[in-house]
Amino acid sequence: MIDIAGILIDNILYVLLITLGGALISLSVHFVPVGGAPAAMAQATGIGTGTVQLAAGAGLTGLVAAGAVMQVSNSLPLVLAAGAVGAMIMMSVTMIVGTWVYVYGVGCPPASAKVKYDPITKDRQDLYVSQGTEGHGLPTVSYVSGVLGGLFGGLGGSLVYHSLITAGMGPDVVMSNLIGLASVFAVGIFFVNAVIPSYNIGGTIEGFHDPKFKKWPKAVFSSLIATFMCALVAVLAIGGL
Amino acid sequence: MEPLISMGVLALMGAAATVAGASEDLESDVGSQSNPNSQVQLAPQMMYPHRIYNKAISGEPPSNALMCAVGGTTATVLMSAYNMSPVFAIAMGALIAALVHGTYSVTAFLGRPTSQKRFKQPVYLDILWSHTPVIMGYSYITTFCILVISYLMVSVLGHPFPLPLIAFIWGITIGAIGSSTGDVHYGAEREFQSVEFGAGLNAANSGNIVRKGESGLRNGFDNSWFCAKFGGPVTGIAFGMVVFLSGWVTTVFDPAKGIAIGWLSVIAGVILVLIMILWNRKIEVAARAAYGPYKEDEVAA
Amino acid sequence: MSAGGPGGEAHGGVAPGKMIVFGLLGGLICIYAAHFLAMVNPVFSFIGALGAVCAIVWGADAVRRVCSYGLGTGVPSIGMIALGMGVIASLFGLAVGGLAGPIVAVIAAAIIGLVIGILANKVLGMNIPIMEKTMVEIGVAGALTIVGLSTTMAGTFMFAEVLELVVAPGYIAVIFIAGGMGILHPFNACLGPDEEQDRTLAVAFEKGGIAMVIAGIVSMVISTAAAIPSIVIGLLIWYISFAKFYELTKRDAYKVLGTGLLPTEEELQ
Repeated sequence: MIDIAGILIDNILYVLLITLGGALISLSVHFVPVGGAPAAMAQATGIGTGTVQLAAGAGLTGLVAAGAVMQVSNSLPLVLAAGAVGAMIMMSVTMIVGTWVYVYGVGCPPASAKVKYDPITKDRQDLYVSQGTEGHGLPTVSYVSGVLGGLFGGLGGSLVYHSLITAGMGPDVVMSNLIGLASVFAVGIFFVNAVIPSYNIGGTIEGFHDPKFKKWPKAVFSSLIATFMCALVAVLAIGGL
Repeated sequence: MEPLISMGVLALMGAAATVAGASEDLESDVGSQSNPNSQVQLAPQMMYPHRIYNKAISGEPPSNALMCAVGGTTATVLMSAYNMSPVFAIAMGALIAALVHGTYSVTAFLGRPTSQKRFKQPVYLDILWSHTPVIMGYSYITTFCILVISYLMVSVLGHPFPLPLIAFIWGITIGAIGSSTGDVHYGAEREFQSVEFGAGLNAANSGNIVRKGESGLRNGFDNSWFCAKFGGPVTGIAFGMVVFLSGWVTTVFDPAKGIAIGWLSVIAGVILVLIMILWNRKIEVAARAAYGPYKEDEVAA
Repeated sequence: MSAGGPGGEAHGGVAPGKMIVFGLLGGLICIYAAHFLAMVNPVFSFIGALGAVCAIVWGADAVRRVCSYGLGTGVPSIGMIALGMGVIASLFGLAVGGLAGPIVAVIAAAIIGLVIGILANKVLGMNIPIMEKTMVEIGVAGALTIVGLSTTMAGTFMFAEVLELVVAPGYIAVIFIAGGMGILHPFNACLGPDEEQDRTLAVAFEKGGIAMVIAGIVSMVISTAAAIPSIVIGLLIWYISFAKFYELTKRDAYKVLGTGLLPTEEELQ
């Protein structure tokens, strides 16, 4: 058996950082404009896929970038920034190509049905909503919101990864074991925190201007508790290496 | 590493990613997967039975992650336990992955219509026999290309994550991109070609998918033929861009050379994102001008 | 996502209690049997994957029960959260538990699952009556699946070996997704108003068989002798349960046709 109390006291900072990372991931999911199945039929504003999947896709792309940078630099801000940029690039590319498809392939201008005027561009929205739908495509506000979602998701994911690696770092640690364990824990924590907010918003949200966005404290609170528990066990497992 | 060589590797990864993205999207179109499939699923309930494959394997991200993780695992085992050449190991890994994906497709196709007995949707075995090999073929191409990307990242660019995990993550990402971009072309346009171009799907039309083809009854092949003209290629561009751009910023500005250069790579990434925000805005403005509003403003009229 | 829509309690078939006994006890017994017998001869490591099959079938049944209520998002999300908490709990269990590792993993997964279930109902307001219970079941099933498949891959569940042979080379990723898909896919594939438990669970056995074959492929790294039983028995499970599934499809489907036109207007009335 390993010294549980000792490891916890040594690593309490990392437990808290991981918890913070989980909360960031949970918050990020609220920013990502996903319309679920209706959006795939140009029936609702947002990206035509599921919340969990898109957030995970963006966040894990960020994790890959953070992992690469962590290999060559131990500066925490740089690793976080690399993760955030990786996730933001993934979100931006996905959304810009999504816009191509909505505009050139389907022939719908981007429009939101939840607000009358786009809060950023002040463009009128309701006139551009096709009959019988709840908006379609990605108006600028949703696009910016999605980029912010990528930012927070990437930050959160790389914060979790960085904390796990630093917590496990020791004089006689085999690096490949540590990286394998930390990366799979990061993936696990990411999925837990991507699913919790998707239950909160019921699968679809347009971005930070959507009324559903106001529900975020509930999900972030739940994620704080759930991630705290995951962080405890993860740090115990990784600290005992 | 020599910067030009890493640029070359990156270009190869981008090319492989473009092929992977296109085949991923066409694989989901021929089998009808993910969100557009909800309409295929709904159709019989609305009295529109059809002859379209119903490949309800979760969302695209988990199913692609499964393919890629299985392929990556098999390839790694063959390389480490039997010292096989990477090319052969990757090909074998992709083959096993395609077989596994085939069984998932078959169970979904048999399972969903059967659970709709009361709506009288028959299970057509000829659709099963003709479409499943095509689905497996596309999934082979996707897995092969993702494994090439993952292998290059791990062995040439020196990424610390193990190959199966990288393949798994790219599988999630490609699935997320495919279902966000190319699938919309299938769901919003091809399934509802009978309604006017430029209209979103009116909720009243839900389930009323086009069921007749250019010749005979429409099936998944007809859908992938259509989507191969736009949805598939743009999905390819999307995934290629993600792989290329996210690697490009750290290849040109290599963080290994110092903190300052590392921050330059971050700035380069942020600039790319800002450019895309502006680009999206330009398309939005152009689309609003070109297509015009759907209804008149009541106050002005 | 093509969610099941608002529904009610899942109907019919084998009672949840029996499934819990089957999954929990079957899983644990197989994992311990594999661990101790594989010390005698590595050939017996395949038994661990049998435990994973039990856990996958149990997990799929729990998913079926909770998703019958309609989650508001797709079925896949619950499989992902199951394996997300499962992977953390199981590696923790193996790391601190030593010989009691699988049991510690089960307890850790149960606690995390219970907390997430309570949060989902009380804080997020999902109000699904069996949410807490099934979250525990799904988390434990996920953890047992991971421990079972890892035991087959490494030939033991001792943390040092699992870390070196399963986690560090990244095979844990395939366990994560093959186990997760095994738990979420059966109900997702058979979703619909005329879903039947026996048909759904036949798919669960089939996916368990595939996971076992994959674990067998990985165990080639240790020895070919250990790999062959896993692959052969996995294929056997796959074949038997697929044949059963096809038989049940023919029983339940409106019609299974070689080919044909669409049903006529009169037929649909």
